[in-house]
Amino acid sequence: MTRPDWVPEGIDTAQPSAARIYDYWLGGTHNFAVDREIARAVTDAAPDAALIMQANRAFLRRAVSFLIDQGVRQFLDLGSGIPTLGNVHEVAQKGAPDAKVMYVDIDPVAVAHSRQILAGNPHATVIREDLRHVDAVLDHPDVRGTLDLDRPVAVLMMAVLHFVPDADDPGRLVARFRDRIVPGSWLALSHGTQDGMTREAAEIGSDLFNRTSTPFVSRTLAQTRALFDGFDLVEPGIVWSVQWRPEHPDEVGDRPERSAAYVGVGAKR
Amino acid sequence: MTDGAEGGLSEFARRWASALAWTSYVPMNRGERLAALAGFAERLATSLLAEPFSEKPGWEVGAGLVKSAFAAPEALGATIQLIDEHLLTLAGIDPADPDARARVARLLGALATGYSWALRDRTLDEQEAIQAAALKARDQAERALRESESRFRHAALHDPLTGMPNRALFTDRLDEIFRTAGPDARIALCFLDLDSFKAVNDSLGHHVGDKLLVAVAERLTRLAAAMGHVAARVGGDEFILLIEETAGAEDAIKAAEAALEAFDEPFRMDGNTLPMTVSIGIVERAIAYTDPAELLRAADITLHWAKSDGKSRWSLFDPGRNEREVARYALRAAMPAALDRDEFGLVYQPIVGLAERTLDGVEALARWRHPELGVLGPDRFIALAEDSGLIVPLGLRLLEKACVEAARWYATHPHAPYVSVNLAMPQIRHPRLLSDVASVLNQTGLPPGKLQLEITENALMAEEFETLMRLRDLADLGVRLAIDDFGTGYSNLANLRTLPLHGLKLAGQFVDDPDAAFLRILVDLGHTYGLTVTAEGVETREQADILRAVGCEAGQGYYLGYPTDPDTIASLLGR
Repeated sequence: MTRPDWVPEGIDTAQPSAARIYDYWLGGTHNFAVDREIARAVTDAAPDAALIMQANRAFLRRAVSFLIDQGVRQFLDLGSGIPTLGNVHEVAQKGAPDAKVMYVDIDPVAVAHSRQILAGNPHATVIREDLRHVDAVLDHPDVRGTLDLDRPVAVLMMAVLHFVPDADDPGRLVARFRDRIVPGSWLALSHGTQDGMTREAAEIGSDLFNRTSTPFVSRTLAQTRALFDGFDLVEPGIVWSVQWRPEHPDEVGDRPERSAAYVGVGAKR
Repeated sequence: MTDGAEGGLSEFARRWASALAWTSYVPMNRGERLAALAGFAERLATSLLAEPFSEKPGWEVGAGLVKSAFAAPEALGATIQLIDEHLLTLAGIDPADPDARARVARLLGALATGYSWALRDRTLDEQEAIQAAALKARDQAERALRESESRFRHAALHDPLTGMPNRALFTDRLDEIFRTAGPDARIALCFLDLDSFKAVNDSLGHHVGDKLLVAVAERLTRLAAAMGHVAARVGGDEFILLIEETAGAEDAIKAAEAALEAFDEPFRMDGNTLPMTVSIGIVERAIAYTDPAELLRAADITLHWAKSDGKSRWSLFDPGRNEREVARYALRAAMPAALDRDEFGLVYQPIVGLAERTLDGVEALARWRHPELGVLGPDRFIALAEDSGLIVPLGLRLLEKACVEAARWYATHPHAPYVSVNLAMPQIRHPRLLSDVASVLNQTGLPPGKLQLEITENALMAEEFETLMRLRDLADLGVRLAIDDFGTGYSNLANLRTLPLHGLKLAGQFVDDPDAAFLRILVDLGHTYGLTVTAEGVETREQADILRAVGCEAGQGYYLGYPTDPDTIASLLGR
């Protein structure tokens, strides 16, 4: 991070964005040609790409519903992306209309779009920040205005930590959020993995994502579990995304590893 | 619908959901999804039985699917296939009934149309939304860039401590004024410098010094704003008021007076009350006849005048004074070379005993035979030499010359006059004075008693032990010591008693004293301490008579003899 704070980044829509590619795979059309080009190329190499993203989104929905059932009323969604269908605040506020949701994303277009969507929603706000700047996120006036960090909060890191390189130490990053939330708070995350893929599919996928501003880093089951240090995982622990508290056995399918993401939900001790 | 339509409907919905699985993300849980699809199925099945038949429900279901986010192209294909195969059965109609099949076909056609329209509209809406978001994000990024640029520009052009325009911005503004000014436009600068700011920093710390600067900046900024001028901080404790479109110097003086007034009230910070003053150099000019650099230089020069004239005041640039100072500077710079070229020499003015009109002594007076300016008297260059330190080698050179001449006179006339040479303060303070004088006497062979050194009263003021000791050592050599211009400076009269002095020289102004009362007091004072009194500036016979009447031993002046060359003195001796 050599860029001084006062030099803003430019907006380059010629650069593919992970958030918009994700939207494309969910079936959305909030994306540009550069995004679709990458998405189609990935799909050619890894035909399950759309399934992976949809399974991840479905996990997000189930996890938020679960957390609402646990009484959680505050959500910090880090790496929220394009506010496509099934946003956290839609799921959460359906269960608890007063649930507070704070979205954080680094993608300026995603943030601008989120702002349009959230206009008029008093309980949901978005800021543009790099989730690696833990204190900048948690001390942002909008975050302080939306969330009460003296009360339990659910930190959501859905399909985002695989864009954080090892050099930025995702484990330490999660720990720094953990250390600033009160016991009884929650962590729900999903992390992409190439554990279940052929090497060829894995390589093509990585190469393609390296063309976006956020290269992809695959991590193993053990690495994903380690992210929950200091949290008690709820059943069923770390599993493939489709396996986490499915609504029906049919939803899991025969080959859950196709969902290509490890997920888990845990409560801070 | 057939018997068990309920079961048939949910089975149909389950199959439909399964066919649509993973085609697109649908933000509903399984139950909601099945219920939504069951609802669509029921509407379609019911429409087949309706009279008159209408395909409109097909259109609505197609659009409804998209609205519920079953919006992947695969979802349409799978839906058409499922409905074509199973809807008639679900509705309890014979799948072979050609009329019913035709209705299904029309229904499917409408469904595909409704689906496509809805998907097309949704796509366009979402594209517009994402484009708008991209534009907005770009706008924000550009605005942030502009703001950061203007922040950067502001930072580059303003002083971070006080927030005032800095020298760069001030210079920009000045250049712009010069570039755009009309032919008759005039401009003024008031160059301000805090008096004794360093003392604040040194005694109370930079922390207080910085606060003081901020407070000063506030007062000046307020003043400038009220008067329509620009205030800038151009150095540590230096500020400038830029006054545009002046009619004359009065406008600038008005601003300077206001600035001085702004310091009337002391500054209070951290429990300290700091009375501060400021010195101001003013320059006011027609823009056509100057340039920014010259203007600034003039303001700077004038500021130093205000400082040297006593601080806490303004000074207005005066071209004459400046020319004199420039000439002085040129003269000062030329002196070392002139010393090398031996352009400095002496003339000798008789010191005459008033009782017998004897030639008791001569005062050696310095002259500079300047190649361009002609012969210059000591008032033109001695102060400059003192200032630059050149006085020490110059004084020694002149002392040598004087002693050489005096020794020459003495060689032929045992009663030859003593030579009286002026010593400047830097010479007296110089540690080598004693050895220099001793070695000159030694080299020239002049008896010490034939050399008189004139020192100013101020030398006696100095309580410096070293200086007084040095004078005592000189006296011990046998050299005569006289106080020059007695009565015009400040004397520590105690030193008159303790120092081994030989004489007092009274300044010419006392000789001019018509009632002679004060003159008598001074002469008596000299005599009280056993000193010979010499009066300078004796220009008339009456003056000479009065001096003699009050007991003054010797006189010097035009009446008694003009300064002259050493040969003339020698010829006087031969008479």
